[in-house]
Amino acid sequence: MRRFPLQLVMLSVLLVIEIAILAPLAGVRGGPSLLPSFAAYGNDLLIEAAPLLLLAFGMTVVLMSDGIDLSVASMTALIACALSKFEPGPRFWITALPLGLALGAGLGLVNGLLVAACEVPPIIATLGTLFLYRGLCEAALRGAKYNPFFDVPGYARLGELPGTLALVGAVLLLGGGWFWASRWRQEILMIGGNRVAARYAAIPVGRRLIEVYTLSGVLAFLAAVCFTAHDGSASQASYLGLELQVIVAVVLGGTAVTGGRGTLVGSVLGVLLVAVLVEGLQAGSNSWIQERLPFKFGNLRFVLLGALLLVGVWLNTRLARPSERRLR
Amino acid sequence: MSASGGLLRSFWLRLPKSVRRRIVFLVAGDAVLLGFIWWKAAQSRASFADEVGRMAPNVAPSILAALGQTGIICCGAMDLSVGSILGVAGTVFGVLHARGVGPGGCFAACFVTAFGLSAYNGWLIRLLRIPAIIVTLAGLAFYRGLALILAEVASHGFGQQFTLTGDAYHRPGELYAGWILLAALVLALWGECFAKTPRMWLALGNSEAACRLSGLEPARILFGAFLVGGIFLGLSAVLDVTNHITIEPARLGAGFELSVIAANVLGGTSIFGGQGSAAGTALGGLFLYLLGPAMLYAGVDEYWRTAVQGAAILAVIGIDCALGRRRKLMEELR
Repeated sequence: MRRFPLQLVMLSVLLVIEIAILAPLAGVRGGPSLLPSFAAYGNDLLIEAAPLLLLAFGMTVVLMSDGIDLSVASMTALIACALSKFEPGPRFWITALPLGLALGAGLGLVNGLLVAACEVPPIIATLGTLFLYRGLCEAALRGAKYNPFFDVPGYARLGELPGTLALVGAVLLLGGGWFWASRWRQEILMIGGNRVAARYAAIPVGRRLIEVYTLSGVLAFLAAVCFTAHDGSASQASYLGLELQVIVAVVLGGTAVTGGRGTLVGSVLGVLLVAVLVEGLQAGSNSWIQERLPFKFGNLRFVLLGALLLVGVWLNTRLARPSERRLR
Repeated sequence: MSASGGLLRSFWLRLPKSVRRRIVFLVAGDAVLLGFIWWKAAQSRASFADEVGRMAPNVAPSILAALGQTGIICCGAMDLSVGSILGVAGTVFGVLHARGVGPGGCFAACFVTAFGLSAYNGWLIRLLRIPAIIVTLAGLAFYRGLALILAEVASHGFGQQFTLTGDAYHRPGELYAGWILLAALVLALWGECFAKTPRMWLALGNSEAACRLSGLEPARILFGAFLVGGIFLGLSAVLDVTNHITIEPARLGAGFELSVIAANVLGGTSIFGGQGSAAGTALGGLFLYLLGPAMLYAGVDEYWRTAVQGAAILAVIGIDCALGRRRKLMEELR
């Protein structure tokens, strides 16, 4: 456990440096207007980060169990598409949302059953469902586009900062707190560390894995709520490539892709790192820097995300305990 | 005749049982799909020969890339960045075409780009000692960004896409795709029967520790798999790019890695390495492709096609994994 604080400190330092570089692009000014402009920047940043935080929670748990969930973006899109088909109005709250929640849990359950019951390798199973769920989006919308979300009373408030913060804060603090203290977490870590040993230790491996993937699906539902409340619409091409951002964030936060190691706090910092990058590059394409570049500034996002992932994993393997390194 | 029969027999017997089962299943599945297409084409008076002729250019790129990937997966690694590499190679092709370079130069540059990036992946994995899947996941994003930036930097007034004019630029993809695919397949099968390198990949996939103990160098073997994979990927890139009229750097090859890996998994290549065959991969890729026209003839709603295809892939893989489950469980607990 000793190396976690060091890693968190390093991540925080990285985060501060990144904000110092990218915040001026996003309109943060020095002098007397520092505080208000920074508040506006922070507002955008947190709204950008909120759904990522939810998805990263699920992804952290999945990676800890030595799995991976590539289908989160498709799942979020499918749930958002399904939600968008409901009639706007007060009844949306009691019809669409519970059904969306059930859908999220169901989609996660399918992943879980494939992994646990059929023993398909997680990366293959979720690659398949990535494809399948995206196809179902197409089938659900049939090329049309519905935007009921802003007509649902009170729904848009979830997309503003207080509402988003309340939702994400509740999930992360309550859920994260329970998770941190729970035996469930230890069992997941053990499954990720050594599955055969976990089975010998009387841990119901299959059931735990199903629970893990279902959790990921439920959190995808919450992320879909965050996204749709903010954007007001969803289409079958929404959130393409989002899974990469989530995985990069979680891995940067120190969770091992080979399972058995990971923290939520690290993932939160990782998400902030990614969100600052994405937000800064989006804002930068409207700033002075764009005029001096021969290409779209926003396109740097892919390059930097890829590079960040490599650096993050490389640092993780270097920072692993010496005993762990010797074992490899 | 008897010599080749004996060769075929020994090749067949050397394959693991699960791969053999899968090949039989795929031959049957491909035959059923082809038969269905033939039957429907005969009913609607469309020409079955035309349908088959259209097949080669469309199916060749993904099968070629999948053959290269088979070697990499046999080592227990995976290259998720093939689609983005295709995007970069296509962009290089488009930029050179826009600058008036002749067909030969464009083909060569496209091939070299794809080969070079694949080799670079292998080199990076060796250098950083990070799991291949992570390195290539990073590559998936990195190369896509590279393609977009390259397109904007290297050609002035770049809109969304390059348009390839001139028949000479389309020749490999449209006319020779089938022959190139056949040659590559024969080469891959020959290598599987006689060459030493593919067996080392299988050895590495089965046990890295045993490989090291017997004096082999795992990192080098994996690098070799990426080099050979790069040759196949280069061919695949040339065929895929020249089969299109427009090249869109943002979308060319998006999702390509899915069909490549799906072809492998369908073909019985174990995703953990140590098991697989080029024959299975080719049949798997063909099966995936045939689902498309078969659904078209069966009148499946166009919005449902992706979903049906995804469900079919998942069903095949899920059933197969579930069948192999009990045996695996017993092995684990022994």
